[in-house]
Amino acid sequence: MAVYERRWRRYTGRLSPASLRLHVIVRYAIKDIFASKLFTIFYFACFLPIIVGIFLVYFSHNVPLLAAFGIADEFLGIWTMDFFAGLFLWQAIPAFLLAVLIGPSLVSPDLSSHGLSLILSRPISRVGYIVGKMGVMFFLISPPTWMGSLLLFGLQSNMAGAGWWSENLRFLTSHLVGHLCWITVISLLSLAVSAIVRHIWAARAALLAILFAMWAFGGLINEVVETTWGSVIDLMGSMVLVVAKIFDPAFSNPFPIWISWLTLLGYVALSLAVLNRKLRAHEVVK
Amino acid sequence: MTEPKDTGGPGALTLNGLSLKFGSLTVLDDITASLGGRVIGLLGPNGAGKTSLIRTLLGFYKPQKGEVSVLGHPLRRGALAIRELVGYMPESDAHLASMTAVRFIRYMAQLSGLPSAIALERAHEALFYVGLGEARYRLVGTFSTGMKQMVKLAQAIVHGPRFLILDEPTNGLDPSTRRRMLDLVLDLRDRGETKILLSSHLLRDVEAVCDEVLILNKGRVAAVCDLESERQTNKSFVEVELVNPDGDFSDRLLSLGCEVAVVDQRRMKLVMPSGVTVRDLMTAASDNGVAFRRLDHKRDSLQEIFLRAMEADRGRV
Repeated sequence: MAVYERRWRRYTGRLSPASLRLHVIVRYAIKDIFASKLFTIFYFACFLPIIVGIFLVYFSHNVPLLAAFGIADEFLGIWTMDFFAGLFLWQAIPAFLLAVLIGPSLVSPDLSSHGLSLILSRPISRVGYIVGKMGVMFFLISPPTWMGSLLLFGLQSNMAGAGWWSENLRFLTSHLVGHLCWITVISLLSLAVSAIVRHIWAARAALLAILFAMWAFGGLINEVVETTWGSVIDLMGSMVLVVAKIFDPAFSNPFPIWISWLTLLGYVALSLAVLNRKLRAHEVVK
Repeated sequence: MTEPKDTGGPGALTLNGLSLKFGSLTVLDDITASLGGRVIGLLGPNGAGKTSLIRTLLGFYKPQKGEVSVLGHPLRRGALAIRELVGYMPESDAHLASMTAVRFIRYMAQLSGLPSAIALERAHEALFYVGLGEARYRLVGTFSTGMKQMVKLAQAIVHGPRFLILDEPTNGLDPSTRRRMLDLVLDLRDRGETKILLSSHLLRDVEAVCDEVLILNKGRVAAVCDLESERQTNKSFVEVELVNPDGDFSDRLLSLGCEVAVVDQRRMKLVMPSGVTVRDLMTAASDNGVAFRRLDHKRDSLQEIFLRAMEADRGRV
């Protein structure tokens, strides 16, 4: 039927399975996000640490080239815990910036024009909606973080030969656990903040403010009371302590490591509570 | 227009002792009704609980007590199953401002489970159907109020639902757009492929398109009225005013089988039995040399039904 014939008919064909409808949320969101050229440039810039790492892998195993430049000694024993811990930080910071950019653009538009009531009037639950949005965050933040680490680790293992893999598996585990935790926390936090602050740029500013305000406030407590317990409220600090402990079990924390885990869990729980309260088809006024 | 394929029947919407509370505030109080019309009107003054009832049907609010079923699907078995069947046009402004109309409608269709290519085709169709064909590549955020109402209708029907919920569809529309919206509702009704629940506080809108009405007041059922049979019944009630009253005329009417009540010398009220038409009255009048000054069918309008329901409810309080 030609579409301009102005008639309506019921749909009696097959419906896609419910799980595929989450893909619809993910696909539309990703297309919207990459509509911005500036974001696309920034996104590919987030791969720089991994690209640099791949070059280092190549150079560190190309002895004649290193000898020609006279820097062979500098590359000896480069694959240490410090290298991988540094790489983690260089991935985690862009990951947070990605969450700042992506998160608000996922939720705020649905809330600011009440589109959420239309989405949730479809056969999609609130949990499904959040899982879909989280899926977008994981889909976009994973490649420059843990997936990149996996690639780098695989390349190095391949070039270094047998034995390197098993001897250094802890570095890979640390990257995987650390990045997955970090992505979970920052994704939920960014979705939660955008559910409260419904203007995209205001939500982005609020996210940065939360990160730096908690860091500054924790530091202030540490300075004034001469303690290290102020860092308990610092999201970034807690994550660093947790990852440092995974990298090196002998790492001496200023306080028990479970407290840092508790801080991260606290942020997750708070974000989930906010999402549960704010992401509704209609607000209930009691 | 096509002929109606489904004249309705019980089970389109069944409410059994439905109660909803927000904290200490009772929003819906023991609502019981079984509605099977093609277009069910949901009437009531502001704050009567119309929108809350709709949101309960969609599973947005969880009732404290009672049961709801839409087209035989009980809500307690899961709201998602009901949402599969339903198209919902909310009362408030609701859209995704940064999308073009066709992308927005396609997105909604795909979320309802339509495959991508079919969703695109039906998005174009739905937009042409509601009269937004020419504007389908414009951002929804740039639409006027009337266009936004129409785009809300398009997203509600794009997936071809079996049950369509329209919450105040004519809100904020100018007279011509309002007429167009009501014509679309009538067209959907007459196609007979979907049942419609239309919530409004505008009696004339409900009267124009609905064949059954649930009137709510303060969260309770004030009246359930089958407008279609009311209209049929009213056709047999006639009030006449005579120019030259004649005693034999009432005897003639009685012989036709009419029930006659003489109001005064010139006015009388009649109930015509089936088979007797106004034409028979005219013939009888002509035979008796009586002329009519006025002849009216009884008009028990929705407004009267509504006001009576409100009065009765006030009495109950």
